[in-house]
Amino acid sequence: MTTITQRRAPAGEETPRRDRRDRRDRRGLRRSTLIGWSFILPNFLGFALFTLVPVIAAFVLAFMNWDSYNPPTWAGIDNFVRLFRDDDFRVALTNTVLYAIGHVPLTLALSLGLALLLNQKLRGIAFFRVAIFFPYITSLVAIAIVWNMLFDPTSGPINQFLHAIGIANAPGWTASTAWALPAVIITSVWRDMGYYMVLFLAGLQAIPREYYEAAQMDGAGRWRSFWNVTLPSLRPTTFLVLVLLSVSSFKVFDLVFVMTQGGPGRATLVLSQLIYQDGILNGEFGYSSAISLVLFVIVLVVTVFQFRIQQRRER
Amino acid sequence: MKRSLIAAGAAAAALALGLAGCAGTGSSSSGSGTAGATTLRVAVWNLQQTPEFGALFSAFEKANPSITIQPVDILAANYEDKITTMLAGGDTTDIITVKNLTDYAGYAQKKQLVDVADVVKSLPTADIPATESYKTGSAYYAVPYRQDFSVLYYNKKMFADAGVADPENLTWDEFAADAAKLTTGDGADKVYGAYLHTWNSMVQGYAAAQQDKSYDKPDYSWMADQYKLTLGMQKAGTIMDWATANSQQVQYKDMFEKGKAAMVPMGTWLIAPLLADTKAGTTDVDWGIAPIPQLKSGTKITTMGGPTGFGINKNSKNTAAAEKFLTFAAGPEGAKAVAAVGIVPAYHSDEITKQYFGLDGMPSDALSKTAFDPDVIRPDGPTGTNAAAIGTILNQEHQLIMTGSSSVADATAEMASRVKSDVLHQ
Repeated sequence: MTTITQRRAPAGEETPRRDRRDRRDRRGLRRSTLIGWSFILPNFLGFALFTLVPVIAAFVLAFMNWDSYNPPTWAGIDNFVRLFRDDDFRVALTNTVLYAIGHVPLTLALSLGLALLLNQKLRGIAFFRVAIFFPYITSLVAIAIVWNMLFDPTSGPINQFLHAIGIANAPGWTASTAWALPAVIITSVWRDMGYYMVLFLAGLQAIPREYYEAAQMDGAGRWRSFWNVTLPSLRPTTFLVLVLLSVSSFKVFDLVFVMTQGGPGRATLVLSQLIYQDGILNGEFGYSSAISLVLFVIVLVVTVFQFRIQQRRER
Repeated sequence: MKRSLIAAGAAAAALALGLAGCAGTGSSSSGSGTAGATTLRVAVWNLQQTPEFGALFSAFEKANPSITIQPVDILAANYEDKITTMLAGGDTTDIITVKNLTDYAGYAQKKQLVDVADVVKSLPTADIPATESYKTGSAYYAVPYRQDFSVLYYNKKMFADAGVADPENLTWDEFAADAAKLTTGDGADKVYGAYLHTWNSMVQGYAAAQQDKSYDKPDYSWMADQYKLTLGMQKAGTIMDWATANSQQVQYKDMFEKGKAAMVPMGTWLIAPLLADTKAGTTDVDWGIAPIPQLKSGTKITTMGGPTGFGINKNSKNTAAAEKFLTFAAGPEGAKAVAAVGIVPAYHSDEITKQYFGLDGMPSDALSKTAFDPDVIRPDGPTGTNAAAIGTILNQEHQLIMTGSSSVADATAEMASRVKSDVLHQ
């Protein structure tokens, strides 16, 4: 800073004019900053009011006991101590992780496969794209009710089909503790794959044609060019899909809640439902905030981990 | 770039969600009426499908022209959660309809309602036995206006066709035997001898009421016999499989009205829709009610049930008018209004019973009248401070038993250990 002023000092005449221009520039900059702020203000206000403040409140509440009505009392780390002894929490955490392990790779693979399949110039291709996307815009409650009927262990079409092809011991699906979670995963994969397929389609269409032509010149077959051209070029999209999928898997609530309500027993109880159950239903907002804090940390760690890997790859 | 896009998208979604959530409560926060007149806002569920509210409100307005009732309509399935949120948010809706004793325990514990012991004092409590259910120490945080209890609905035509005698004073074993005789058909045409709804109270509630057991004690071995009976019927195919009823989200009303089941144990709240649907011509089922089956024959009729009541919000600014409404609803005048639409009022008198059985379409045989007057009504689920938490555990283990994922002995032992460690923290 000092060196600059020293160097500029000799050119005395120019200084006042430049100062004026600087000031004008700065005013302009401030104006455009203000305009920029005013553009995001409505959005930010909503975000602050309905997301940021509640999130911060939940962080504080995690260290308190609060029934949502009487004044909260300080609990220190009691809620977290209780958490690690709570059987419900252990069950819900396991189920949530299992759900993510099933949901993320399956949806990723299927949506990529569908995108590759539908990334062709064919007559009526738009129809198929819309058909695959449709479940995503269908009411979740309707999906849950219909799939519940499909999964009915005795009279459901799925098990009747399994019986017809000679499988005597068809799974009990939503009525069995072992198969309820797979049933929910199947339904959620079916619902979500259309959405992620659209993301992949956008990614695929951004890959320059020349890459494939060059690969073809080098004698690469379809498999080779998929492996060496498509996949690497899709990496940013794959990364985005992976992050979105992981976050949504860990937060899963709606589908599970409508389909099985966490049952039978606690076979499909997930963390978000436990938060809802302990907070809204049992009125233990401090304890449920502690659970949501743990869920937040899990999602954060998973996401940061994914970003790290992505950065290392890009380097 | 992409990261900020995601963030912006997330924020927008959060905003949309927040606004949507806000709009729900916003509709119920208008102020009270014009000078001279008072407007009472009453939280109710499914106003259109629940005729008792309309009947009660218009009768009250007629008797008190200076007070207007403004219902705050809430979807029945979300009622408990919504009220919890409203009260926590300082909502000033004057009167809260107390749906069941489990919810009542929550409001009372959090002291969210006004103590209405004075209202209770002014009521003919000897004729309103359900008032006692709301006694909390020396305080009452609500008064009852209806008192439901479980009865056995039966299809008279099916009984006659199968040559089975009307279900008079059945034991549970006789109930199972009758169900076997009444089960016919196969596949989609199957008619079940009985339908037991998926609720855990359908097994646990009867066991608790008839054996006079408390849910607070972490020992649930007394449920074993009732489960054995229910599982036996499920295995024999005389009741619908729990898993099927659950995955198809079967409506108990449809099972009975469409003649898919000959007997349905259910609360008296089913009477009003049965009368309404018969009148509307959507069902022609020839029905009657009988006392709920008992453990042994020749004993007192013990059933389960619970009151529905009104409480006054602590944040209400019209407490005096609200107390007036509570007195009206729980007393003879309110009883007359709700009985007229087929609801069992909390206030009992010969006159009301006569009026009730005089309703168009109401069965008038002696058995139905006996069913209407049980000797003992015990709560249909856990009550008190830990009601909700205990209820969750009992329901989860119920599902495991009914789907065959867990044996009765294992599940009842698990109930005990979970209630002990997770709820009572022993």
